[in-house]
Amino acid sequence: METETGQETTVQKTGTTTVGLVTADGVVLAADRRTSLGGQFVSNKQSIKIEQVHPTAAVTLSGSVGAGQAFIRQLRSTANLYEARRGEPMDMDALAQTAGRLLRGTRSMPVLGGVDGDGPRAFQIDPAGGVLEDTYTASGSGMQLATGALERLYEEDLTLSEGVSVAAEAVESAMERDTASGNGITVARITPEDVMIDSYTDSTEVA
Amino acid sequence: MRGQDDRQAYDRGTSLFSPDGRLYQVEYAREAVKRGGASVGVRASDGVVLAAERRVRSPLLEARSIEKLHKIDEHNGVASAGHVADARQLVEEARQTAQVEQLSYDQPITPEQLTTEVSEHVQEFTQAGHTRPFGAALLVGGYVEGTPQLFETDPSGTSYEWQATAIGGNSDEIENTLESEYDPEISIADASGLAASVLTDEEENDPETVAVAVIDEAGYRTLEREEIDDLL
Repeated sequence: METETGQETTVQKTGTTTVGLVTADGVVLAADRRTSLGGQFVSNKQSIKIEQVHPTAAVTLSGSVGAGQAFIRQLRSTANLYEARRGEPMDMDALAQTAGRLLRGTRSMPVLGGVDGDGPRAFQIDPAGGVLEDTYTASGSGMQLATGALERLYEEDLTLSEGVSVAAEAVESAMERDTASGNGITVARITPEDVMIDSYTDSTEVA
Repeated sequence: MRGQDDRQAYDRGTSLFSPDGRLYQVEYAREAVKRGGASVGVRASDGVVLAAERRVRSPLLEARSIEKLHKIDEHNGVASAGHVADARQLVEEARQTAQVEQLSYDQPITPEQLTTEVSEHVQEFTQAGHTRPFGAALLVGGYVEGTPQLFETDPSGTSYEWQATAIGGNSDEIENTLESEYDPEISIADASGLAASVLTDEEENDPETVAVAVIDEAGYRTLEREEIDDLL
């Protein structure tokens, strides 16, 4: 993440690298742990940029930290209300549509990953409300570096643990050269049963 | 209020309970539903049929202008009974609710959720001041993601799910017929025949006196006069 300085207000921004990819058994999201001020100063070295928003879905945070956190709270409460009222969780199309609607006009660019009746799904959501489904995707200042790694490493029908290695390596590649990304990796493993989010100091620790 | 008949004292407003716990205005609204023609819903294995009785009071009246079957969206329809104008307000509410669902969640609304939301709207009019309850009941039928469903909502704002049912005048007798004739495995074609036949006079079998809509895989569609003639 990154904070913009030299303006009237100082906004923490995710200069971040986050990735999401679909495997045969579930979805993997991964992100680095650095938050910075304008890409100049590392303001936090232990940020967790992936949050669960639904029984079987999570999003990554990138862009403005405040906008991202507000977005996550709203998306989570919408998903909770939907399930309480209807007795079944939202499917990923409904969750992605809601995410796109909530994100319009903000400065956040998350990756949404989750599992529903149609299997594992991943979406790139943009600040204008665009919703694009993909099998692998990245966002943040390190997205070109991470996408390059994903192009080389991603294959269809990876197992979940293979997917975790690919995602961690993609984030690691970006952390090597993007000054706004670094300080370790957070990985979310999303299966039809649940969401598990773990953090590591570097990619070699990621099992 | 002392010395007056209980009914006269407690049927003035909808927000006033009688001492024995009744809301007379809501009960009167249910009676209003019974005064009109009947509407019928039958859930088949592959869709839902809605049918409505048309009471053509003059040979000069164009029968097709008696509108009791309403398309809500591609996947849902409503058959109404009772005050037509009240029913139209609820139909408008249902149509907007269906579009909001599509806009919010990018998915078609289920008949169950549609009925829940319309019922919440109906209930508000039994509790708020300066309002009267809706003098109409609705049958909500739909076919969403391979599942046919049929629901009813009444003037109290209570909803029920049915395999087959009737609302409006003579509905008790029609329900009896449906109970003996209904089969859960019924096809959409047989369900259309059943719905049309319980609403028409056996001797006359006039297709002008009944309207039929089917909702299935292909969406909502009303039957032409010739098709109803074939059913009878």
